[in-house]
Amino acid sequence: MKSDMGLIVKTTARATIPLIGIFGAYVVSHGHLTPGGGFQGGATIAGAGILFLIAFGLGEMKKRYNHHLYSALEGLGGLAFLGAAMLGMGVAFFYNALWQDGPFFNGQPGTLLSAGYLPIMNLAVGLKVFTGLVSAMAAIAAYRRWKE
Amino acid sequence: MMLPYLIIVPLFGAFATPLVGLAGKKARELWAVLITALTLGVASELFYTVWKSGEIMVYTLGGKNPLGQGVGFPIRIVWEVDLLSALFALMVTLIAFVAVLYSTEYMRHDTGLEKYYTLVLVLEVGMLGIAITGDLFNFYVFLEIMSIASYALVAFRNDTWEGIEAGIKYMFTGSLASAFILLGIVLLYGQYGTLTMAYLAKMIAGNPTFTAKVALGLLAGGLLFKSGAVPVHMWLADAHPAAPSSISAMLSGLVIKIGGTYALARLAFSVFGMGISMKTVGWIIIFFACATLIVGNAMAIIQTDMKRLFAFSSVGQIGYILLGIGIGLAAYGSDVGDVALAGAIYHTVNHALMKALLFLVAGAVIHQLGTKNLNELSGIARRMPVTSFAFLVGAAAIIGLPPLNGFASKWLIYESSALFNPFLAAIAIIGTAFCTAAYIRVLFTFFGRPSERVVNATEPGKAMLVPMLILVLAIIIMGLFPWAISEKVMIPAAKTLENFSAYVTAVLGGV
Repeated sequence: MKSDMGLIVKTTARATIPLIGIFGAYVVSHGHLTPGGGFQGGATIAGAGILFLIAFGLGEMKKRYNHHLYSALEGLGGLAFLGAAMLGMGVAFFYNALWQDGPFFNGQPGTLLSAGYLPIMNLAVGLKVFTGLVSAMAAIAAYRRWKE
Repeated sequence: MMLPYLIIVPLFGAFATPLVGLAGKKARELWAVLITALTLGVASELFYTVWKSGEIMVYTLGGKNPLGQGVGFPIRIVWEVDLLSALFALMVTLIAFVAVLYSTEYMRHDTGLEKYYTLVLVLEVGMLGIAITGDLFNFYVFLEIMSIASYALVAFRNDTWEGIEAGIKYMFTGSLASAFILLGIVLLYGQYGTLTMAYLAKMIAGNPTFTAKVALGLLAGGLLFKSGAVPVHMWLADAHPAAPSSISAMLSGLVIKIGGTYALARLAFSVFGMGISMKTVGWIIIFFACATLIVGNAMAIIQTDMKRLFAFSSVGQIGYILLGIGIGLAAYGSDVGDVALAGAIYHTVNHALMKALLFLVAGAVIHQLGTKNLNELSGIARRMPVTSFAFLVGAAAIIGLPPLNGFASKWLIYESSALFNPFLAAIAIIGTAFCTAAYIRVLFTFFGRPSERVVNATEPGKAMLVPMLILVLAIIIMGLFPWAISEKVMIPAAKTLENFSAYVTAVLGGV
């Protein structure tokens, strides 16, 4: 399949996709410190995926996108969130056991390794949003034809 | 404390389905059946505990106590389970288990089943969440989980035109109704600054404002839509026939009740009970109930599509439930109100059982014969005796014949409406007359002379027959002890719903 975009767009996309990805990862990992979080960061990274899809075309996307992998990763994101929520089951569902007396993620508030299970949940939500949005866009892009 | 596992188990099941699905088809089906069976176990345990103790169970997410440190108001999400919530949670898990067991055979010819089972489990999570939550925004989130899963499931067979059409209709109008509900919640939060139902109830009682009335109007409007009450029932008659039958069973048996009438009753009693004129709200609900009764049942008579007939009959039965709730509100504090509310709760459970059964029967007929047009289905009884027997039981129960469960619940509603206002009883009777006419028509179709189409029909497999027989058994057993069930479960459940100060005290402590 021939891709629709010209050379300038492709080259710019090559340069910007890593930047968008890194910025999205930053937003996800600093969800408990700065504005943003799992959803915003995940959607940003998905933006990189969508830029890839548009700039390089569906043919290239099909080579790089594995439906089963993304579906499994999305489930994994949900499971990680649920697992983090269950860490403090001894007290209550969603009890932040890591923050209260956990082995890690209980540093000084304002540092990266603080806030208990929040960074884990942000990562899980970011993974789920990224894989979910990319899967949805890939599925819509691959949707048969304009006419039957 | 089993309560959080009511959400954790199906949520875990839904998230893990894509992973389990990698192991193959059989594993996926087994997984869904296992998870729904486990959830049923958790819900039965929960129901037994709540019923035994007779207390309201409060669970706080993220801490031991709902109240904040040093302040007297709740800051956390609470789940509040009284007998009514526990009963409905049990009903949801039972029907969901039966529907999933049924799907293992019924949906075998469809593609994309890993999404199907995920969506069914998510739908179950949403409904259970609505039943147990004690937080208004949490309620909204679970309502949306339920609604979005049902939009997707209605349009699941996206290669048929009717699935897509019904899905679009349901989604557009349903999103609008959800937006009304959200707007109502926003107004309440702006006015009172809290989202915990129990604390909100106290605040509204202390300072009943015009905003609270507007919010109640918006909430009631949205919830009447979700329950398929008459001016806004059009989505239901399209969505239920177009969905796969196992999903119609869940939509008709559960979604319109948990997301509609249960939520309406919960908000009207537990949240607004102390701050508004219950008589006015009661009469407004009674008005819609009467319209729903007549229109739903009357429209059922003229249908030629079996599932569409059942869908309109669901609208009609929602009318009875709303009538019970409306009288329960308008005659609050009297015996008549008690009986009406108990009848509404009883009828909710009964109708969930029998309408799920009827839709499963319809699914079996479609699965074996490939049509749901009543004009082509003459004489199924000779070729599919078990299915026809199941239909007979379901139809007799929904009309309200004495040895079956529908009799007692309808009797409670007739009795209370006759005592409250004879005119309402007359409307209820007319509704039942229409309903009887509709089902007799189908009955004659089933037991008539076999048509060409039917001659080579056979019974479906075990995985479809067993769920139907489970429901038949439940209907017959519940029909044998109607007054004991009413005394021991339904009247206490109605009483817990009416006792809104206990609902508030359970969260806030001695107030």
